[in-house]
This record gives sequence, structure tokens and C-alpha cells, in this order.
Amino acid sequence: MQLLWDGLQEAWHLVSTGDALVMAAAGRTLGISVLAVVLAGSIGLPLGTLLARRSFPGQALLVTLCRAGMALPTVFIGVVCYSIFSRRGVFGPLNLLYTPWVIVIGELMLALPIVVSLTHGAIQALDYRVSETAKTLGAGLLLRWRLYVSEARIGVSLGILTAFARCVTELGIAMMVGGNIAGRTRTLATATALETGKGEFGRGLAMGLILLLMALVVMLVMARFARQEET
Amino acid sequence: MIIDLQNLRVWKNGQVICSVDALAVQPGERLLILGGNGSGKTTLLRLIAGLETEYTGRRAVQVDPGQCVYIHQRPYLFRGSVLSNVLFGLRARRFTKPAAEPLALNVLEQLGIGQLAQRSVSRLSGGEIRRVALARALVLQPRLFLLDEPLAEMDADGAAAVLQLLADMRQATILIASPTDLPAHPLADDYRSWELGGSIPIAGQSGEAANDSRSSGVIQNPNTDKRRTKYGRDS
Repeated sequence: MQLLWDGLQEAWHLVSTGDALVMAAAGRTLGISVLAVVLAGSIGLPLGTLLARRSFPGQALLVTLCRAGMALPTVFIGVVCYSIFSRRGVFGPLNLLYTPWVIVIGELMLALPIVVSLTHGAIQALDYRVSETAKTLGAGLLLRWRLYVSEARIGVSLGILTAFARCVTELGIAMMVGGNIAGRTRTLATATALETGKGEFGRGLAMGLILLLMALVVMLVMARFARQEET
Repeated sequence: MIIDLQNLRVWKNGQVICSVDALAVQPGERLLILGGNGSGKTTLLRLIAGLETEYTGRRAVQVDPGQCVYIHQRPYLFRGSVLSNVLFGLRARRFTKPAAEPLALNVLEQLGIGQLAQRSVSRLSGGEIRRVALARALVLQPRLFLLDEPLAEMDADGAAAVLQLLADMRQATILIASPTDLPAHPLADDYRSWELGGSIPIAGQSGEAANDSRSSGVIQNPNTDKRRTKYGRDS
């Protein structure tokens, strides 16, 4: 209990004094996660819509794979990314290992199945009259797909939020392919692991709490945004 | 003629859910399709609108896809305002906002719901939803207008306003499905009643065409091909 209290005090101290290392790690965590989720959204929304609205050979398999992909362990993605981006890997010459960019790619792999699966589910659950009405009013493909995402906004935004929540808190990818390099690839999760590993439980706890706070703020902002959309 | 159906059977899960021996509709005609519950009125309208793909027989509808609008028995309004719904079809036709808005507002005004333009569709009554759906379709000035029980849940004034608006669409061919006759109104007399299940002769050929089509047998439609109906059923 004392440990938790110390952690809270330390967290308050770090936030109130604007500790440079912590703030940099927080900013980096947010930036990497947002970029990964934006990418996952721009690929996953059309893909999820396609899977929900078109039948083609292999479609059911793709849906099953995406659903299974939601359970991908981050360390597994980390290993895969490592093998691809390490010097002997396919993309080794790009020299991306131990940069934030490779963390973005790893988190994209983490986020994409979530966005695709939940978008697919939400759009498939839409009333059959949505597509029929749009068609009979003469809407083309692009307008129809935009309409589907808009009508399924609650499920779709839940998918985006879930993907963001997993990305912002993930440790395995950032650790394995980021390398936890201070000032370059250190995220709040790897910092938490590092501080705890050093025996600095208070600082570790503080980092974890800041991470939690950040996730909470993003969720609240999104929830407010969704409510405004409602009216 | 704008619609010509012969020996038509619409299938669902191996069962015939709508059966028409012969139906011919001339451009500009107003037809009232009568039939009890489960007689296939809705299916017939959906077939003409191109929303039913599993059928056998002849289905000829001489109208461009964008010129035919079908309104569901229980219309679905997209989230947002009444105005944004009425603008939807115009957006699909690449109207600019300044060009589209006066058209939309004008139709809403004619249907007596101009004051609802900015209201969210989540706060509309059943009758209001129907009128908005009508406005959304009317603003497109379709050549072929398919209405599934459009006057249900509507008061006498609303029904009269709708009939007047439909009467003003002189160019359009209008098909209304209803389990009962239209309410007593001078404009209701424009509609030719047709009982689903019976067949009507093509004008001027009194009955012969219907017999001919029967003897010529069922024309297989490529749309009944299983692959086509399984893959690419929707988008």
C-alpha cells in the first residue's frame, strides 16, 4: 500500500515539475500510437467494409484470420518485426531497427486486425435498409461506404478506441524492435519496465500511472466527440 | 411500356414468394397494387426496383437505374438532420450545396414539414419519418416511383398532401402497394387498381399477350445463376 502511495506522489511530482524525460516518453508514446492507429484506420475501415459488404472466395477465411489476429501477443509481433527489420531480414537495408518507425509498423500490425474485425462486425450488423435505401437513391460506391461507416459509427469508433488502447499500452514491440533507447525509442511502457527493473518501484509506478492517465484522457476526449456527433 | 413482367416468380430459400403471370405498365400510369398480407406486394416492388435478384421469368423495366426510387414500407432515415437526408440523393448526383438546398427545402415545404428541416431524425414521429422519406425521394424527380404503403400512419391532411404531390409529378410512373384502397380523395381516382395474383392484359391486346407469354414458357434469367446471387449480392 505504501508503495502505491509513493508511486502516486512520485507521479504527481513528475507531472507537476514537467520532468523532461517523462514528458518526452509520453509524447513519443502518444505520437507513435496515434500514427499507428491512423494508418490502421485508413487501411482497416475500407477493408472491414469490403469484408462486410462483398462476398468473394476466401472472405470467410480472411474474417476468421482477422479475428484471430486480435489476440496476437505483442512479443510475437516484436519477434516477427525483428526478423524482418534486423540486418539479415528482408527490410534490413532500410535500417529501421531501433527507430520509432519500426514501432509504428509493429503497432500497425497490432491495431489492424482489431480495426478490421470490429468494423466488419459493426457494418454487417447494419439494417438491410441502409444499403437498399442508399442504392435506390442512386448513391455510388464511395458515398455508400461512407454512409455505412457513418451509420455504424458506434461500433467503428469502438474498434478505433480498442486499437488505440492496445497500442498505447503495449510493451513487447517497443522493447524488442525499439530497444528502449532514451531520447529515441523509449515509450512510457518501456520506461515503466526499466524503472521497475532497476528497483525504482516508485518511478515505475509513476510512469504506469501517467500512461493510465493519458489513456483515460484520450478516451474521455473521444467519448465527448462521439456525443457531440450524436446531436 | 415502362414495366413488362411475364411469368414471373421470385424465389427465396427455394420457395416462390411472389408470382405474377403478366403485368404491363405504361409510362405515366398510376397503379395501385392491392393484396393481403404475405401476398408478395413488397417483393413485387422490390423486384421492379432491382433489389430482388433471384427470380425466373421476364422482367423488363425500361428506366435508368438512377431514375427509379423505391421507398420501404418502414423507411430508414440516415442519422443526421431531416435536411441532410433529403440532400442525400442530390449529393449522389453531384449537386452543389447552394443548388441542392433550395430544392430540398421546397419539397419539405410542400409536404408541410418545412419547419422540421434542421431537426435530428431521431426525434421524428412515424408519420413524419414517412414524409421525410417521401421528400428524400421526390426531390430526385424519379421517372419511376415505387411506394410501399406510403399512406400508413398518416393523418388525412398528410395523405391529401402526399396524393397532391404525387399528382403533380406528371412525368412519373407511380406504383403504390397497399393492403387497402386509397383513402377517398378525388386524386385517388387516377390510380388503376390491380389485385396481385390476377393478371392484367396489355392495353389493346386484351388477354392475348398473357396467354402468349404462358405458352412461350419460362425465360430463364441470368440473375438466377447461383454464383451471381451468392457473390456480389451487395455492396
